[in-house]
Amino acid sequence: MVAVAFTLAIGVLNFLNFSIPGIFMIAGMVSWAALKSGQHWLFAFGVALTASAAVGVAVYFLTYRPSSDSDPEVPLVSSLGFLVLLENLIVLWLGSDQQSYPALIADFNFRVGSIIVGGAQLLSLALSLAFVFALSLSLRFTNLGRQVRAIAESRRTASILGVNVGSVVPRVFVLSALFTGAGGILFAISYLQVSSSMGESIGFKGISAMIIGGMGNIWGAVAGGLLIGLVEILSTQFLGADFVNIGVYGLLLALLIIKPEGLFGMAAAREKL
Amino acid sequence: MNELILDVEQLSACYGRVEALIGVSLQVARGEIVTVVGANGAGKSTLLHSLLGTIAPTNGRIAFAGEDISRWPIHRRIDAGLVLVPEGRRILVSMTIEENLLLGAHMRQDKSAVRREIDNIYDRFPNLGRRRSHGASCLSGGEQQMLALGRAMLAKPQLLMMDEPSLGLSPLFVSKLFELIKDYNREGLSVLLIEQNTANALRIAHQATVLELGRVAMEGDAAAIAGSARLQEAYLGGAAHEVTEADKRKWIGRRS
Repeated sequence: MVAVAFTLAIGVLNFLNFSIPGIFMIAGMVSWAALKSGQHWLFAFGVALTASAAVGVAVYFLTYRPSSDSDPEVPLVSSLGFLVLLENLIVLWLGSDQQSYPALIADFNFRVGSIIVGGAQLLSLALSLAFVFALSLSLRFTNLGRQVRAIAESRRTASILGVNVGSVVPRVFVLSALFTGAGGILFAISYLQVSSSMGESIGFKGISAMIIGGMGNIWGAVAGGLLIGLVEILSTQFLGADFVNIGVYGLLLALLIIKPEGLFGMAAAREKL
Repeated sequence: MNELILDVEQLSACYGRVEALIGVSLQVARGEIVTVVGANGAGKSTLLHSLLGTIAPTNGRIAFAGEDISRWPIHRRIDAGLVLVPEGRRILVSMTIEENLLLGAHMRQDKSAVRREIDNIYDRFPNLGRRRSHGASCLSGGEQQMLALGRAMLAKPQLLMMDEPSLGLSPLFVSKLFELIKDYNREGLSVLLIEQNTANALRIAHQATVLELGRVAMEGDAAAIAGSARLQEAYLGGAAHEVTEADKRKWIGRRS
């Protein structure tokens, strides 16, 4: 999910939005705080998603828009600043401890052969795939989706054709933030842990998944994410838990050397970073 | 004279830091084809982009269908019927042919009419229809130009602006293209045509304006302009088709 959010931001906006891991964390922590204060889970998730969207809008107005005429590095740095700000706000508000997230789904594990499958994880995976599927369909078949893709290919051509770039782009920001927020909630549900720094490692993995899958390609990002998950599990299994990150980033390095445009990427998309 | 669809008064604009348009006035009457000709660097493209709104003019007034649109954003001008077929066609190659056409109609709500018009375009250009769900990158230059024209027509233009549509096309496609422009014009479309291919443009146009270094050098009846000696010697005697670097330097020198 995070990789898809990054892909949306980069592919469409040509903007590596570093606040995305922050939004991921916000959704996890806000929903945790709401649940802890005794709210219904629907309400908690609603609040978390609203907060995510609000942060997305704030990032648009405070980082992307003021610097849209300057170098692409400018919003990149200011969104990184947003990430630090968000993390520290949450530390101030909810503390920096790892918090345990209530189990919302009865813990049902089942075995397929010799593999144990966690029910919550499976549900998260299914929901993520459903969201991504819905996103990809709407990019493909709706009017707004076509406008977004036109902007992704060429902002200038899109505006010559009358696409109102100034109104489509903020909507992409909100969509990307909602995606990230939903990802944060699903993460919390399946791992039952949240903390103010939960976004960081996920952020790096999200960027890696996006690069592995090929930038600007939504299903590539999904495939990259699944591949990273698989490598994590396999390296835990065969090399031990200490080697997880070596396995993941080793894969990234190897792939960048062998196929720098990513698994499903087009060569041109690389210029966007 | 008919009612004016476009009335440009004293328009000035910069292209980068160069003053590319200096006090240009231009009228297009409803139902007319008007062509703007002139050598490279005369300000033709700057004129079109100022009209569309991608370049902000420094001075002057643009009236379209009786309304002052000088301050309107691009999408509002297109919605009102001022549509550009851009230079180089600007087909979106990551999309299919059909998606390119649908993108042209993205502001319209009348889905069934859009569908009918797309089918008409496929009838007109079977090459597009046969490959409607293929990527637009598979088209030849001429077919891309037809697609760009179709896409612009789906925005329901009242005035169609075309920027060098014959550039890079085979002679066969050029004559096909000009026939098509004439057809659309006979169906009531007003056209503002910018061309390096001056002979063809003057043949189908009613009125013509000659731009030289950002100023209007001549204007009037297209046939009269085509026959004028000054036009022949100044811009069009072969030089306008192939502008050399030396020519460009000379013109830039004259400007400063």
